[in-house]
Amino acid sequence: MAEIVKVQGLQKKFGKFKALHDVTFTVNAGEVVGFIGPNGAGKSTTIRTLLGIINRDAGDVKIFGKDVWKDSLEIHKRISYVPGDVSLWGSLTGGEIIDLFIKLHGGGDKEKRDYLIKRFELDPKKKSKGYSKGNRQKVGLIAALSVDSDLYIFDEPTSGLDPLMEAVFQDEVEKIKHAGKAILLSSHILSEVERLADKVAIIRQGKVVETGTLDELRHLTRSTVTLVTEGDVAKMASVNGVHDFKQTGNQATFSADNEYINDILSEAAKLSVKKFESVPPTLEDLFMRHYEV
Amino acid sequence: MKEKFARWDALFVQYMKRDWKKIIIWVLGLGLFSGAYVPAFEEIAKGKGLLGMYETMQNPAMISMVGPTPVNTAADYTLGAMYANEMLLFCGLFAMIMAALHVVSHTRKEEDHGLTELVRSFQVGRQANSLAVVTETILINILLAVFTGGVMASFGADTISAGGSFLFGASIGMAGILGAVIALVMAQIMPTSSGATGSSLGIIGLLYIVRAGTDVSNVDLSMINPMGWTYLTYPFTENNWVPLIWATAFCIIAVIVAFALEGGRDMGAGYLPEREGREAAKKSLLSVPGLFIKLNKGVMISWLIAFVIMGAAYGSIYGDMQTFIGSNEMMSQMFTLAGVSIEESFTGTIMMVMIGLVSILPIAIVNKLFSEEVRLHLSQLYSTKVTRAKLYWTSVILAIVAGVIGILLASCGLGGTAISAMGDSSSMDIGDFVAAGYNFLPSVLFFTGLAALALGWAPKLGKVIYAYLGYSFALNYFGGILDLPEWFSKTAVQSWVPRMPVDEFDEAVFSAMTVISIALMVFGYFGYRKRDMVEGA
Repeated sequence: MAEIVKVQGLQKKFGKFKALHDVTFTVNAGEVVGFIGPNGAGKSTTIRTLLGIINRDAGDVKIFGKDVWKDSLEIHKRISYVPGDVSLWGSLTGGEIIDLFIKLHGGGDKEKRDYLIKRFELDPKKKSKGYSKGNRQKVGLIAALSVDSDLYIFDEPTSGLDPLMEAVFQDEVEKIKHAGKAILLSSHILSEVERLADKVAIIRQGKVVETGTLDELRHLTRSTVTLVTEGDVAKMASVNGVHDFKQTGNQATFSADNEYINDILSEAAKLSVKKFESVPPTLEDLFMRHYEV
Repeated sequence: MKEKFARWDALFVQYMKRDWKKIIIWVLGLGLFSGAYVPAFEEIAKGKGLLGMYETMQNPAMISMVGPTPVNTAADYTLGAMYANEMLLFCGLFAMIMAALHVVSHTRKEEDHGLTELVRSFQVGRQANSLAVVTETILINILLAVFTGGVMASFGADTISAGGSFLFGASIGMAGILGAVIALVMAQIMPTSSGATGSSLGIIGLLYIVRAGTDVSNVDLSMINPMGWTYLTYPFTENNWVPLIWATAFCIIAVIVAFALEGGRDMGAGYLPEREGREAAKKSLLSVPGLFIKLNKGVMISWLIAFVIMGAAYGSIYGDMQTFIGSNEMMSQMFTLAGVSIEESFTGTIMMVMIGLVSILPIAIVNKLFSEEVRLHLSQLYSTKVTRAKLYWTSVILAIVAGVIGILLASCGLGGTAISAMGDSSSMDIGDFVAAGYNFLPSVLFFTGLAALALGWAPKLGKVIYAYLGYSFALNYFGGILDLPEWFSKTAVQSWVPRMPVDEFDEAVFSAMTVISIALMVFGYFGYRKRDMVEGA
């Protein structure tokens, strides 16, 4: 798979404040990378660096193998971007702004534009000062999706969208993903990332602390197990790999290390299992684990 | 009835608390502007000043701008008559505009912002807000009227009687109330707050232009114009209170109409349907220059019109300059130079003043790029193939073009009016005025260059350029009166330019300043190309 985005040891200071310490991740063609982290962790700063809006202090940042600062224009020909807070010129209509963005990008598909306007249920004749947050976001999304790019960068793209429109967005992203495009999706909405992303990069205080596929990340963490046995379930508490053991009657709930899952199963079998449920960690669990100190 | 206006008194008290600072600035600022120029006018009136000014004010161009005087002979043109003649219409106009903006911003704008929705969810009547705002605005204008009258009367000038002073103040206050009720009616009719603001100001502008026509042709016709009910009270001469009664009746009717209209509409909607915008963009918008022209259009058009009016205003003085300047020591000291005519000398000075003001527009256009950047309007553009060079140079070139057109309009406005005012005695042709104007082009370029430099290296300092412009302007304006040392005057950039037509054109200075200005722009670009974009910071 072709490497589209490559960020290696990115650092950025604003005056004395060090916004990015060490950001490292890659995005490949045909891949959606979820970029998650709390407010102020450095997601938008990283994206602005990728776009050449701000310059880095250290590190190697490339898109399509080209330097993001020096060759930003070459890169921009083949990318689409939607900022987290789409801010528009109040005196222009949504339709006018979409056309302007498409044109300045170098031209796009008129039919695609009309199709997306319909799908996102945007009224393009309205002056944009009358738009709600969600409608402004739609303008940005329609403009970005109407042009043909190889890399799509979305910064909190669905903030302000209603659940129906969120689904439309996810649907459109699936389409471009299947067309073999690369997508960097920065988001708080973990269910969305979970649905769309192949890989996840978790950023915390300017540092990427975890990257990998969801499966890989899940493997590193514990699953939640609910167990009902005929024998005394309390014996399970002392088995290797069992944590946070809680018991009510002969039912126990605990978190289990994935590498000890075999030991746990065989110990449980001795007590004659009536019910065994294992739930893999959600992305939210993974995410919270990094912020619970 | 009670239901409709429930708790308006609570809102009214709340608004007074919220707005008290604005009210103080409004009343003091406009009141002093209207009433406190008595000493300055006494200065002008010295010697043959009144006579000269009377002649000047008979010029139809002046009547169309500041209004007529009921006085028929120069001998009756007293200080009070002159003051009311020159000041009343304009001060009333300001009062109208202030009140109209205030009313729209507290009625329709709050609806658009969703504030009204919240207020209305409490036990507040449907029309309580409008009543509270109108009451507040009327109270402000009564304060303004009393304050203005008091200030004027306090100077104790012979021909400025206390009665006349309070009529003067009351006329201005009534103008404010007229503006408020016009805005209140428009706030009900128009679909958005910007539509309400635009149409209110449009109506005020239209009334002003219509009265300019009727004042010149037949003053009696101005009496059927609501704006006429303010300045046609003629304080200090005829002291006619009758027009204010007309105005009061008009206001009462307008308020009743506005409340009836408001009673029948939904919150956030007007009677006119919201105009649909374009579904697709026009071709002319689809480029960076197209976009920037569109974004700056309002500012550019309004300033360019202002330049023409300003030129015409100064130009109309030329007809009576000899009598006017000859009688005023302060003025003649400023303008009299050995061996040149007073008109030429005046042209040199006034051109510097005007072209200084023209510089405001290019600075505003260059600064606009940074304000767009901060407001995040450009975020999505940065990721397209639009280069930073394109953004920067489009702004700078648009600013230069606006400056060049501004100079042309200002100098033609001045020249055209001056030549027609001087008639046969004219010693200058339009070419002289245009040349004198473009002689100052490098100073406009220099300010554009400074703004561009700030945009590239320290965009937050963009506003400081206005301060330097103001400083240069003041230095040039008063430099002629105060005997300033050479080096000190030279800190104002315009001082380097010789003043045509009195002085000779200096090619070396012209080209040197132009080159320096362009160098500033280029240097600014180097900064702009490599700095981090400030977003939302």
